[in-house]
Amino acid sequence: MSKISSILIANRGEIALRVIRACKDLGIKSISVYSDEDVRSIHVKRADESYRLGPAQASESYLRIDKIIEVAKSSGADAIHPGYGFLSENELFSEECKKNGIIFIGPTAKAMELAGDKMKCKEIMKKAEVPTVPGSDGVVEDIELAVDIAKDAGYPVMLKSAFGGGGRGIRLVSNEKELRQEFELASNESKAAFGKSALFIEKYLTNIRHIEYQLLRDSSGNGRHLFERECSIQRRHQKLIEMSPSPVVNKEIREKVGEIAVRASTALDYLNAGTAEFLSDSKGNFYFIEINARLQVEHPVTELVTGKDLVKLQIQVAQGEEIPFKQEDLELKGSAIECRINSEDPFYNFTPSVGYIPNCNIPLGPGVRVDTYLYPGCNVSGYYDSLIAKLITYGSDFNEARVRMKNALSEFTIEGINTTIPIHQTIIEESNFINGNISTDYIDKYNIIEKMKQKRNEDYKDKAYAAISAILLQSEFVKKSNSTTQRLNRIQKSMSGGYY
Amino acid sequence: MQFQIEGQSKLINAELIYNKGDGDLLFEIDGKKYNLKILKSKSDEFEFILENTFHYVKILSSTETKYKLLIDGVVIEIKKQSKITEIIEKSLKAKGTVSRANNVTSQIPGRVVKVSVSTGDTIKEGDPIVVLESMKMQIAIKSNKDGIVKEIKVKEGSTVSRNEVVAIID
Repeated sequence: MSKISSILIANRGEIALRVIRACKDLGIKSISVYSDEDVRSIHVKRADESYRLGPAQASESYLRIDKIIEVAKSSGADAIHPGYGFLSENELFSEECKKNGIIFIGPTAKAMELAGDKMKCKEIMKKAEVPTVPGSDGVVEDIELAVDIAKDAGYPVMLKSAFGGGGRGIRLVSNEKELRQEFELASNESKAAFGKSALFIEKYLTNIRHIEYQLLRDSSGNGRHLFERECSIQRRHQKLIEMSPSPVVNKEIREKVGEIAVRASTALDYLNAGTAEFLSDSKGNFYFIEINARLQVEHPVTELVTGKDLVKLQIQVAQGEEIPFKQEDLELKGSAIECRINSEDPFYNFTPSVGYIPNCNIPLGPGVRVDTYLYPGCNVSGYYDSLIAKLITYGSDFNEARVRMKNALSEFTIEGINTTIPIHQTIIEESNFINGNISTDYIDKYNIIEKMKQKRNEDYKDKAYAAISAILLQSEFVKKSNSTTQRLNRIQKSMSGGYY
Repeated sequence: MQFQIEGQSKLINAELIYNKGDGDLLFEIDGKKYNLKILKSKSDEFEFILENTFHYVKILSSTETKYKLLIDGVVIEIKKQSKITEIIEKSLKAKGTVSRANNVTSQIPGRVVKVSVSTGDTIKEGDPIVVLESMKMQIAIKSNKDGIVKEIKVKEGSTVSRNEVVAIID
């Protein structure tokens, strides 16, 4: 395969900027694309060339496979990097690139399809002896079969309706008697509503942690894992904080589960960077759930503890090179934490907050990395994802990384919109988080939203005198810059309801 | 003058007691004296050192009665209390109910994915009127009062900007 000399980045925001930086590091021409909403976005300014895709809606721009391929061909791009989100896990897009002689920096369409099909994937994993969450392989209609499966999986188990979703239709049963009762009720319910029974059985796990492995596999079949990331701090299945190493993974577990993760990628004949996601329970069992066939948002955490540049490696693997290191060459050094800064108001049920950013201050200092598209005078659009910045800190151990995060968060100011910074500030000093006592229900379990509100009231107390001084200063400033008559006029005006 | 911090009942007394004009000022807050040194002052932006601690303050919005400011990265709302402000507040409130209450406005920009009511419908406070999509999330804009839908200003697929009126309730 010939060397890549130019890459079209089919994405926007911080990840587009991240890929542009990798291109510059490798001396590769970067080509960006943009929607009308993004004309002034930073990826347009930083790329060597930029091309318009279409109107603001993603369906008219960043999701238009035809337009992107057209731009790639006319601009002479050798390869396309999809980033994450948008078309990154669209096998049709990967296929179209191949058809048009453009290298897709990511997995093959085949591997992507297998990774995306939960049932097929589970089957393949079983053959490869990769442990999955115990339970039924598909729909169970017969009660005696259900009893056998539940016995194998171990109680308690969950009965899930295939047509439920969002927690609806899930029943928790803790013994065979309950299973027999609930199974009949649930199947009748399902039959009445949908004309057929469609129940799954799955082992109920408590104190679940979400732990994932960074994977890399080249076209010669070499597979490596770049250790784990713990992503248990979530809100409604959206990751908020990620870290590496995980507080519950020691060297022995790391190697054992890492080997399983590599085996999972081999079973799918995976190519390029990907992530194997596992659930881990309080007993230390690891269950494979899926492979994310893309570069992850949280990849910088892994970069900091391994010293490897994952985007550069992606490009090297995509042009047919072998992974330039062996598994035993890799070492997990220090500790890294990432906080996802979203343009959402954590005090108001995380509603989106968008608009013009008159000013912002990006934190700096030892062990601090910020991947963001923000700059003073930029715009946060409501058309796309709410992730506006990733703040990542590194330290020789967890506590050093954590304290650096705490300080960096306090340096981070973004004017004009609300962000998730306050919830991060609360978590980073919360005792269960500090002690590594985390699980996917952490936010609810430890009343984090309430603690965040309390913290805000304390901040208010701390800042009250300075804030009041500023108000007095302003009236003093106004007094000085205006004559007495003008001031009287203004007071009269304001009494009639006007602003000044 | 008296001030009240958002979410707190306590009133704080504060006065400027000394301004020589050279950037050094003296305030009295809750009976104690505080030295303040100005580093930068614009009409809505101040940098100063208050008793040896640096602060950066930006006044985001202000009326005679209410201030919203950003201080060291924290947004805080402060009410200024005095006889005059009480009168102004009352008159503002009175006007507000007449002009604003019938309009349902969107607090966020987004695309309308669903219009949940029709003209002439009787609705209750809190009933969803339209569903907006913004940042891949769906948010319902709810009615702020009981009443009858007089007019719907948007349709499915249209985009609304911040503070735009989406419906009129009578």
